[in-house]
Amino acid sequence: MVYESLRQALRTLLRHRARAFLTMFGVVWGTSAVIFLVSWGDGVRTMLEVGFFKTGKNMGEVWAGRIGEDFTPAADRRYLWFNLEDVEALRRRTRLASRVGAEAWEMLPAAFGQRALTVDVRGMEQHSQEIRGVPLVAGRRISQADVSHRRRVVVLGDRVRRKLLGAQGGIGSWIRLGGKPFRVVGMLRPMGSQLNQDRMQIDDQVWVPISTVHANWPAWWTHEPVVSKIIYRMVDRHQVDAAEREVRAILADRLQVSATDDEAIPIWSSIHMLNQIPVDQTRGMMWTLSIATLVIGGIGVLTMMLDAVHERRHEIGLRLAVGARRRHVLFQFFVETFAITALGGLMGTLLGVGGCWALTQLQVPDMIPVPELSASIVLGALGVMGSVGLLAGVIPAWRAAQIEPAIALRQE
Amino acid sequence: MARPLIALEGIHKRYPMGANEVQALRGLDLAISPGEFVAIMGPSGSGKSTLLEILGCLSHPSDGDYRLDGRSVAGLSVDQLAQVRGEKIGFVFQSFNLLPRLTAIENVELPLVYASTPRRERRSRAENALARVGLVDRGDHLPSELSGGQCQRVAIARALINRPSLVLADEPTGNLDTATGDEILTLLHALHREGNTILVATHDAKIGTQATRVVTIQDGKIARDENREAAA
Repeated sequence: MVYESLRQALRTLLRHRARAFLTMFGVVWGTSAVIFLVSWGDGVRTMLEVGFFKTGKNMGEVWAGRIGEDFTPAADRRYLWFNLEDVEALRRRTRLASRVGAEAWEMLPAAFGQRALTVDVRGMEQHSQEIRGVPLVAGRRISQADVSHRRRVVVLGDRVRRKLLGAQGGIGSWIRLGGKPFRVVGMLRPMGSQLNQDRMQIDDQVWVPISTVHANWPAWWTHEPVVSKIIYRMVDRHQVDAAEREVRAILADRLQVSATDDEAIPIWSSIHMLNQIPVDQTRGMMWTLSIATLVIGGIGVLTMMLDAVHERRHEIGLRLAVGARRRHVLFQFFVETFAITALGGLMGTLLGVGGCWALTQLQVPDMIPVPELSASIVLGALGVMGSVGLLAGVIPAWRAAQIEPAIALRQE
Repeated sequence: MARPLIALEGIHKRYPMGANEVQALRGLDLAISPGEFVAIMGPSGSGKSTLLEILGCLSHPSDGDYRLDGRSVAGLSVDQLAQVRGEKIGFVFQSFNLLPRLTAIENVELPLVYASTPRRERRSRAENALARVGLVDRGDHLPSELSGGQCQRVAIARALINRPSLVLADEPTGNLDTATGDEILTLLHALHREGNTILVATHDAKIGTQATRVVTIQDGKIARDENREAAA
């Protein structure tokens, strides 16, 4: 009986190919819309996370500014800076940051053979490299030994490598930074655009030991080893504000400023930006919209099937007259509706998955989101499609089963 | 007379018609023995179709008792009635009522599908039934590829496939030209001679003259009941 019903349902669909396809179209469209829209929404989120976290995951950045107007007479708005001891102190005392790193900046001319350009030089150490988390394509990072011995070694960002070394140089090449020879020991992976950047993108930077910066290009206003920026990785991204308060309080204590003076000690965490973007709401909206599309498709199927039941009431009457039970008729029409929905759903899934796949194959610029397909989205879409099919199938099937067998005798 | 195949006693059938009620049958009694060829005649609106509905177990009478093969069908559920129809009654309709999407042989098989007969047995029995009505080589044609007479033969084969106790034909020649109608009538007669009980509802006086018994319905009651066994 099951086999017969399936066979007959498929046959009916084949006979009415055009009508079946038009009916299916809503479901095809709805299913592919669910998959495509939600995947794309996920792609946007991933793009944002990747964009913001390229320069360091769950990272907070701390500068030293001037004492805030509210905290001191205008005449005494001192300039502030951090030194390595402040970094050490923060590292010792913090509870909400798992790592604390120091960076020192210089803009310096770089030369290799007859090529030259001005580059963003970052004095780095173990911790700051760890927080940045930029992978290497060749060579090694700045080591603890490099920092201890103030070695003139350099790790090149991708664009600097291409512009300065070109095809001629590699690991072991010597370049000149601010007039002094440095040996290339590592190359960073190309990072592309970053949503969070301080002056320069990673690709335009060169990294050297922080001690080497201090030894070769000391600050002109102090003998202290100046740290241009302190970066830290917070323990828990949900405690971003608490971490900022704690870090500021510790550093304010060192610098003898107020613990709430965010002009003296500005802190920036990219997570704030991520949190401001209503990623989850957007995802919810995508689901709602696409489910609505699918439901509308289901209503199309429902109407068509109700119509078909009416049109085929003589057929139903005849089936009943020759011995079909109500459940046979119920099952037949249910299977037919479900087959349309399932077929449409599968076509829609293929279309949606195919579309997503095609987009991921395209070489799109860095900041264009690409749909991010996941099994849960496909299963979710199929689940919704299945429910729609069930609902759209039950009503016409029930109607069909209510038809009086005596209709078989009536002439139209 | 043998035990009646059909025994109707005091059958009433009322339909709601807007606020009123229509009395289609008013206390009808009828007994039909196995092996009879009965023509049920009567003008439109006489209650003939309603009687056929009830005889065919397509609907319940409002009042009265209907015993088919000695078993009362009054208290049967919808599905039990369907089973009775499938096992004991073969229908032949004026407009053939073949499913246009099924081939001739599949149409003939249909009652067996609902009787859960195995596939192979279905096919061989359907082939035999088609052979009986002289359409052995038309099994894989669609109804649209057959003539009216051929369609009606397919329908008769379908009616016969479950070896029913009763073949109910509603105006079987109504949609056919005279010559083809005669052929169908001849076929019905042949089936009758093979022992089938046949009941034909018709306007056609010619069928009346050929039946063993003619029951005339008027105003929901039997107006006349002529037995022509001797004549036939």
